[in-house]
Amino acid sequence: MSYFAEKQPLVADIFSRYPDSPQGRRSALMPLLREVQDAEGFVSESRMAEIAALCGTTATEVRSVISFYSTYHTLPTGKYHLQVCSTLMCALAGSDELWDHLVETLDVQPGEVSADGRFSVQKVECLGSCGTAPMMQINDDGYYENVGPSKCARILQSLRQDLQPLPDNPVPVTVGADGRQVLATGQAIGSSVTGLHRLPEQAGGEA
Amino acid sequence: MTATAPTPPKPITSAKDPRFAPTLYAHVGQAESWTLPYYRRNGGYEPVKRAFAMGPDAVIEEVKKSGLRGRGGAGFATGLKWSFMPLKDGKPHYIICNADESEPGSFKDRYLLSEDPHQLIEGMIIAGYAMRASVGYIYIRGEYVHAAERMWAAIHEAREAGLLGQNILGSGFDFQLYVHRGAGAYICGEETALMNSLEGLRANPRLKPPFPAAAGLYGLPTTINNVETFCAATQILRYGADWHAGMGTEKSKGMKLFQISGPVARPGVYELPLGTTFRELIYDWAGGPLEEMKAIIPGGSSCPMLPWTDSILDTPMDYESVAAAGSMLGTGGVTLIPKADCIVNATWNLVRFYGHESCGKCTPCREGISSWMTRMYQKLVTGRGQPGDVQLILDMSDNIGGRSFCALADACLGPVLSSIKHFREEYDALAGTQQPLYPARKRWKDA
Repeated sequence: MSYFAEKQPLVADIFSRYPDSPQGRRSALMPLLREVQDAEGFVSESRMAEIAALCGTTATEVRSVISFYSTYHTLPTGKYHLQVCSTLMCALAGSDELWDHLVETLDVQPGEVSADGRFSVQKVECLGSCGTAPMMQINDDGYYENVGPSKCARILQSLRQDLQPLPDNPVPVTVGADGRQVLATGQAIGSSVTGLHRLPEQAGGEA
Repeated sequence: MTATAPTPPKPITSAKDPRFAPTLYAHVGQAESWTLPYYRRNGGYEPVKRAFAMGPDAVIEEVKKSGLRGRGGAGFATGLKWSFMPLKDGKPHYIICNADESEPGSFKDRYLLSEDPHQLIEGMIIAGYAMRASVGYIYIRGEYVHAAERMWAAIHEAREAGLLGQNILGSGFDFQLYVHRGAGAYICGEETALMNSLEGLRANPRLKPPFPAAAGLYGLPTTINNVETFCAATQILRYGADWHAGMGTEKSKGMKLFQISGPVARPGVYELPLGTTFRELIYDWAGGPLEEMKAIIPGGSSCPMLPWTDSILDTPMDYESVAAAGSMLGTGGVTLIPKADCIVNATWNLVRFYGHESCGKCTPCREGISSWMTRMYQKLVTGRGQPGDVQLILDMSDNIGGRSFCALADACLGPVLSSIKHFREEYDALAGTQQPLYPARKRWKDA
């Protein structure tokens, strides 16, 4: 069963982003891998061959690319794939303990799927959420941030009932509603952005 | 001689200066800030019209005059970089936005991508116009799923509105923009590795020269800039080069997104003029440390850590001052390391990171970092250290530094050598008595 045979518009859209050349076709490799993994959860041998044919390369080359990157899976993951950031900024906030807790509580090691098929875990490197540490990403669905022990317990409880909580999407609180930054004392500083718009619009050089 | 030159206004070097207001982050966190109607209501897509009125060469001159330097870490002069693109070679030109943000301690670009995508699109149209590029790619790290979705949505909005495509706003300039998602590899932040990844290959770095402006993506002239750099270009075209050059120090001009992480009261991203001191960021904006500190990583994990002293805290955060203090401004990602944490263990975490992220292409990095350095630190932190281990790490570093294919191995040596320099006694304790001066402690707690 081909995955892409009945998805010609999608394939055409992906190829249209790159030059109409052998090199350009090869550029579609990672987006095609992403499509398959989003739909099926992992990339099987047969899908590698299919993508290789589309990109004008070999399945071995495709596997070589997959093995380079950390977010592709060649085996199914659990229904909830927990990716725990383990780099220093999260470690300073206790990510090692978070990781140990998950591995013990869920009784699952990296590369395994828990007995009920629900959980798999992966230690990942810095996900760019250092201001909201510790954190984890669940599947491709978003960041769960400031995951302390009680928040972790609430998340796991929901997942065990197959109710995935909404990810956090907090933005830094550093800029207020008027576009001004707020000092730790609570004082908003500087002109507002609206004020800044009244700066002389002198740009344009001598043109 | 009656007329004297007017006194030039004093440059802004603190966000507490009433003349300062955030621009890059002014809309981050506002409702609907990522939509085209919001962006246009707030003056969006006016800077690009100004660029079209100026002409491409004047745009490059304006960016040169602004003093903008690359915000991805290296701090190379942006206008100069743009001027390296060949003008009339008849070949297609590319521009790429490096949105692979993966230097530990850096988290500024994620919010720009997801909260203000049109600011980036506008900056890329301006840059594409200046550099005669017809196609741009935004290479977003694979884990930034939400950011990639927001970027795609914004690109579609811009296309519908005639801001991307043929003859943009009647200027005669054609430009297309696409998102290309990475898949999890730190090395993709290195520009030639990024281009290999975009070409569907393993992300090994390429030999330089040729530099990307001569032979980059698909062998064609290419320029790569960081997300924040393109966004700064949008603001420069909005408020003018003089406005930008009126902030910061003599050689480090403009505003910068500083990030602060570790145990502080208000970690996060702060937009401050270059030349702001560490002390102002840490105490006045981030509310101060929550416990006693001993080290500051000033600009992302590869920048050598500095000791927690008054003279370091009073160092202005600009490219030159941080270099003079013995480190680098990098991405502006400041991390504080508490006194009670073992510095060898903290450095081991970063060594493990670089060992994991080494691409394996060259021997000094593959054998030196991924294998030897990793094992030496494992040995120390697991209580199996021996006298001579620290000297061995220093000797290895001598053989790795400056000998690897790209900067990744040197990036690993940043924390290694600086932690030995400033906290040698902690290493000697582990090598001599197998006991850390600062034993492991519980850190995981509810916010």
